[in-house]
Amino acid sequence: MIKVKNLVKVFTGRGQTVRAVDDASTEVAKGEVVVIIGPSGSGKSTFLRCLNGLEEFDDGQVVIDGIDIAGSKTNLNTVRREVGMVFQHFNLFPHKTVLENVTLAQRVVRKRKAAEAEDRAMQLLIKVGIAEKAQEYPSRLSGGQQQRVAIARALAMDPKIMLFDEPTSALDPEMVGEVLDVMKQLAGEGMTMAVVTHEMGFAREVADRVLFMDAGRILEDSPPEQFFTAPKEPRAQMFLRQVL
Amino acid sequence: MPLKRRTWPWHLLLAVILIGLTASLWIATKRINYEWRWDRVPQYFAYRAELPQDSPVAGRISAITLAGTSSHIVIAPDNEGTPVTVTVEKSKVAVGDTVAEGDPVGDEFEWRIGPLTQGLWVTIWLSFISGLFGLFIGLITGLCRVSSNPTLRGLAIFYIELIRGTPLLVQIFIFYFFIGTVLNLDRTVAGIGALALFVGAYIAEIIRAGIQSIHKGQTEAARSLGMNPFQTMAYIVLPQAFKRVLPPLAGQFISLIKDSSLVSVIAITDLTKSGREIITSSFATFEIWFTVALLYLLVTSVLSQLLFWLERRFARSD
Repeated sequence: MIKVKNLVKVFTGRGQTVRAVDDASTEVAKGEVVVIIGPSGSGKSTFLRCLNGLEEFDDGQVVIDGIDIAGSKTNLNTVRREVGMVFQHFNLFPHKTVLENVTLAQRVVRKRKAAEAEDRAMQLLIKVGIAEKAQEYPSRLSGGQQQRVAIARALAMDPKIMLFDEPTSALDPEMVGEVLDVMKQLAGEGMTMAVVTHEMGFAREVADRVLFMDAGRILEDSPPEQFFTAPKEPRAQMFLRQVL
Repeated sequence: MPLKRRTWPWHLLLAVILIGLTASLWIATKRINYEWRWDRVPQYFAYRAELPQDSPVAGRISAITLAGTSSHIVIAPDNEGTPVTVTVEKSKVAVGDTVAEGDPVGDEFEWRIGPLTQGLWVTIWLSFISGLFGLFIGLITGLCRVSSNPTLRGLAIFYIELIRGTPLLVQIFIFYFFIGTVLNLDRTVAGIGALALFVGAYIAEIIRAGIQSIHKGQTEAARSLGMNPFQTMAYIVLPQAFKRVLPPLAGQFISLIKDSSLVSVIAITDLTKSGREIITSSFATFEIWFTVALLYLLVTSVLSQLLFWLERRFARSD
């Protein structure tokens, strides 16, 4: 489903160059849940953002469902329809109601009729447990509720892949659970997911594979049991000692 | 005792200062022996025009009958034809008078709008049209200004700097005498063009600031849903930016109304030019200028109230 080969992303600025993603390669199969962890600044968010082209990359190849996203004939907008993304800071559209947030892209991008889009939106809002807030504006919702709406918004496009960029990092502790529950449910339904997170419990429970990144490189790629009990890399061992 | 600052002494001070200012104004006009003639002003808003009514035939006034405010004057023609009736509001003849064909027998009256009202109207629609065009120009230029295309961005910067770096008065002259002559433009078109181009440059900068104030995450969220750059701009960024720039935009439109007074230099009879024309015939210099100022104030306050109302409506989603 996702194929990444020798991905390189370099940031330049103020005379410094940082290789945020440095020769990273991996593959994610259909229905697989991959959790990416690592210390802050290790390039995991940048790596994730390269997967749907939000970040332009300098070298390497990203293939989504058989389509090279950097290909000269590729329309990135059509690729992105199939790749949902959930952000750390939700990024809901504040001038639209919850329902409009979930229906807008369906209508504009997928060209669905209003009634059809609303039906789909309400299904998803019920699924994430927030249907009663459909007519509210996002500013009236708590962080956890906003993030669940953001997940519904991404799912409304019926994507084949979901990317999560630290979806619980900006939430109050008591709201983390409700968002993780929705993500677990999604994983259980067989969604292909790539998740950047600091929730080790989630990684252990839900992930099929854990990628450990540091300084732009993917250092470990192993099943969660193996990663959490017997990490091979010294850098990963040190990281786990600090967070667990 | 509640912790609350007393404010009434300051309100009192404000009242004293305002009364003092008014008093000094009054004293100042006393000293120059200016004779205030406020009664001359209303006729320039609207007046009753005298329309002389002529006799269609030569003959003698045989009867005058009153009907309400008007009178029917019956004229018996010299050639023994059927008597003719002329209706007037103010009769100038008496029974028995002889009149020739074309002689006025009385006046009818009609309400006409005066030059101040006409000038005010010209100012309002001139500002409105140029504001509308200016908004359009500003929107396009603002979008070019934030574009990643160097040509579009360069053109936008060139236009904005050119307009902001030269006085409006000079722009109006250039537009009228140069561009107007080359393209054979009417003075009104030239005036609207100059104002629209002028305000467009300022609106472009306001729009640019508005767009740049919208968090990058909004664009990223929209793009990640598969929206193209145009859809992202139209559905996500611009609506939010517009709401945010409404206050500076309101200020710009208010400025435009005031700046539109400069088009009087190319002989467009707006409020300012009307005022100047009235003064040449009435000599009520102070009264007319005060009235003109009040009329501008009236239009700008109505506009600012309107935009304030709009702003509150948009605040629904906050």
